[in-house]
Amino acid sequence: MAELIIDGHKIQAENGTTVLEAALNNNIDIPRLCHHPELSVSGGCRLCIVNLEGYQNPVPSCGLACEDGMVVTTKNETLSGLRREIIDLFISEHPLDCFTCDKSGACQLQKYAYEFGVDKTRHEFEISKPLYQDDNPFFIRDHQYCILCGRCVRVCEEVVGASAIDFVKRGFTSQIGTPFDDPLKDTTCVFCGNCVQICPTAALLPVSRLDRGREWELDRIKTICGYCGVGCQIEYALKDGEIVYAQSTADAPVNGEFLCTKGRFGWDFATAPDRLISPMVRKDLAFELGLTDENWQLPETSPLSVRNPKIEDSFVPVGWDTALDLVADRLAAIVKESGPDSIMGLASARCTNEENYIFQKFMRLGIGTNNLDHCARL
Amino acid sequence: MNFDKLEEIGNQERSRQEAYKRRIFCCTSTACLSAGAGQVHNTLDQAVAACQCDANEAEVVKTGCMGLCSAGPLVRVDQKGQDPLLYGNVSPESAQYIISKHVPIQRDDLTVDEDEMDQSVAPHDFPHYRASLRRIRTKTDFDRLIIPLDIPFFAKQEKVVLNETGRIDPDKIEDYLAHGGYRALAHVLENMTPEEVCNEILGSGLRGRGGAGFPTGMKWNFVRQESADQKYVIVNGDEGDPGAYMDRTVMEDDPHRVLEGMMICAYAVGASSGYLYIRGEYPIAVERIRKAIRSARRWQILGRSVMGTDFQFVADVRIGAGAFVCGEETALIHSVEGKRGMPRMRPPYPSTSGLWDAPTVINNVETMANVPSIINKGAAWYANIGTEKSKGTKVFALAGHLRNTGLIEVPMGITLREIVYEIGGGIPGGREFKAAQTGGPSGGCIPMEYLDSPVDYESLNQLGSIMGSGGLVIIDDSTEMPDFAKYFMEFCVDESCGKCVPCRIGTVQISKLLDKLIAGGGSLEDLEKLDNLCQTVKTTSLCGLGQSAPNPVLSTLRYFRGEYETLVQDAPAD
Repeated sequence: MAELIIDGHKIQAENGTTVLEAALNNNIDIPRLCHHPELSVSGGCRLCIVNLEGYQNPVPSCGLACEDGMVVTTKNETLSGLRREIIDLFISEHPLDCFTCDKSGACQLQKYAYEFGVDKTRHEFEISKPLYQDDNPFFIRDHQYCILCGRCVRVCEEVVGASAIDFVKRGFTSQIGTPFDDPLKDTTCVFCGNCVQICPTAALLPVSRLDRGREWELDRIKTICGYCGVGCQIEYALKDGEIVYAQSTADAPVNGEFLCTKGRFGWDFATAPDRLISPMVRKDLAFELGLTDENWQLPETSPLSVRNPKIEDSFVPVGWDTALDLVADRLAAIVKESGPDSIMGLASARCTNEENYIFQKFMRLGIGTNNLDHCARL
Repeated sequence: MNFDKLEEIGNQERSRQEAYKRRIFCCTSTACLSAGAGQVHNTLDQAVAACQCDANEAEVVKTGCMGLCSAGPLVRVDQKGQDPLLYGNVSPESAQYIISKHVPIQRDDLTVDEDEMDQSVAPHDFPHYRASLRRIRTKTDFDRLIIPLDIPFFAKQEKVVLNETGRIDPDKIEDYLAHGGYRALAHVLENMTPEEVCNEILGSGLRGRGGAGFPTGMKWNFVRQESADQKYVIVNGDEGDPGAYMDRTVMEDDPHRVLEGMMICAYAVGASSGYLYIRGEYPIAVERIRKAIRSARRWQILGRSVMGTDFQFVADVRIGAGAFVCGEETALIHSVEGKRGMPRMRPPYPSTSGLWDAPTVINNVETMANVPSIINKGAAWYANIGTEKSKGTKVFALAGHLRNTGLIEVPMGITLREIVYEIGGGIPGGREFKAAQTGGPSGGCIPMEYLDSPVDYESLNQLGSIMGSGGLVIIDDSTEMPDFAKYFMEFCVDESCGKCVPCRIGTVQISKLLDKLIAGGGSLEDLEKLDNLCQTVKTTSLCGLGQSAPNPVLSTLRYFRGEYETLVQDAPAD
């Protein structure tokens, strides 16, 4: 435990925490752009500078480990002046088209420019970076908006382990790039889009997000991803009931801010017109049970041989109770007729561990068979 | 092989050398090579062979820098019983003459025909070389090539690091042994504990010669006290300041001295592996260091059992890929690891977590080259040289508007006036001294009124400059200071790695402001903005490159503000 003073507040910090973390834990906000709690320290944006007693020059708090007796000042006239100057430098090479920018409202650079009252650059405006690259169906990379905070590089290396991108060129012409400037699909990129999520500006944006409204117009719904058993929390941003993009929030219990490519980009099924939204029973069975008036017969040829088969042609939607009753009745009948070993259960990796456990319990005790398998075993 | 055997080899080499009546040294360091020393050396060799004299009459030795690079190619003749003679601006023709003058010729057909000299074609394309040929027409002219060795350029210097360069053949380990090489290492291995070595270096007051001046002994002690299975030593030979070539010369001309210093360091801190990081623009340094490593391995000076003791050490070369910022220690470590050369924040310092997270000592080439002398002659001897806080000597690459330019080694605390007017021989062309620029693009300009201030770490810092790695550029009054500052600013723009904002964008904006001022379109407000921006970049940049990048502008603003104001006042009113 280290005891230090930040802005006059006595603060206890665990050993190994940085001054920035200690300050944030105690609701003292320090401006920052390249810092991300899940990633290693970069120290490139220089916004989180603080004054440390005994030091002449300001020190970046993101890399400063807490020590006993430190006296830290996070806000004063000099620091604000320096931060203002740094933001001024940032926007001297950043398109100032917040009026039309899709990121407006969620952009960190915009936020700090607002906080420090930087309305335009006092320097000569010049952008050396190339225009956007649209080399994949998931997100665009617009280098002009890039502030080279390096978060995407670090998340790719440290969280995803793909290391598909890195800084290329140097100095003023530095940009984030792939090896030999190959298209992303030819690199180790897995298109998880975590770089898109933690990009503080509009340099990385989901294609689905483009021209779909301002950040503050979007509704947000949290749900659990159904693609696998991990159970990641996803937050969908919706405009008029249509999903605009998917992301995750830091408070998501399983996945934090990170998602895989399916969860992040594979959501178009959610509002697809042919999506199944209730259990369905085959029409001939439904007729027997009196659920439909249509006396439909199972065709001689397989329904799959029909071109573009429509599910409504052979199935009718029913309620969950009806469906479960039907399944239970039929299973019981089969057990009675042919014995429990005539039934086999195959569980899915999309289910959670708990669901799989319950399933095997149901098969062994409910049905009475050990005929069990799981798709992940194959 | 133990040290007695090595000493025997050294003694044999010494007696072999002493058997010659005269030894002719030809500088083949980069500066002289680019002035045509390769041909001069070949001519000397052939001329001696053509003399058909006795084998012990003369030996031509390919050697390193003799210091006065502006007069290169340099040839020195050491004759037994006579004072050594130094020839400057030697061409292949004058090389023939030097041989004919000093070596008894057994054949008559080889005397130089002075009338034909003009027609002699030099297979060369160096303009200054042709100029030197034009100057030399007659025999008496040849004698004018002799540079007296008692001029202040030589007399004022005190050589520690450069003691052997210009005297030994850098490719021959025997020559280094003959000049007392590896004696310090043997002494350390036999008679000293690592702690004693660190304290000896600490006691000598040696400070890092890369520019920041951190006490070397203290750095070694930090790493020595770390407990780790693996520690590393890195020699920083990524010398990038424009005009600076001290480290290059030491690596090219006395590579074994660097290796020996490195190994003493490794023993002192408990490292068993080390890297020499050499910039890719120094192919000769790379070649000679590699050769030195090979021969040291052959003689079991490097390897599993150094000189028959338990101490083991392996050294390897890493070549830089052209980034100035890789001279910064954390960026250098990234580069050695095979990553992009970008600095990271400190702490943790490399002494706790450096190369591959192991405790690492990083010292400059010149720092390492000081170490063998300190061990050989003692900390007290070294501490006797220099000022109270800056001990020892410093090598400077003296350049700019001076009569004598080249590589000099002077005791710390020498005044700039002594360097400029005595060693440098003053400003040529009837011009006046204007400023001295130390520390390359990270340093600042020191004006006339501080000519008498001593050259040491503290004084230079007070004047708004830094010691730096040792570039020293003298400017006369024909130079406009804003132009001069612009040159260094452009260098920093090119060399910024792009990681932190103040350096990446700030340097570009400073450069643009300077452009605007120089073009005459600036206002007083711009001058104010320039000052502010420089302060921001200086205080908020991540690494030393950015923090010191505005120094040339800030120091010229401090001492030559008038010149900037003239630019503003001359500007047409808005």
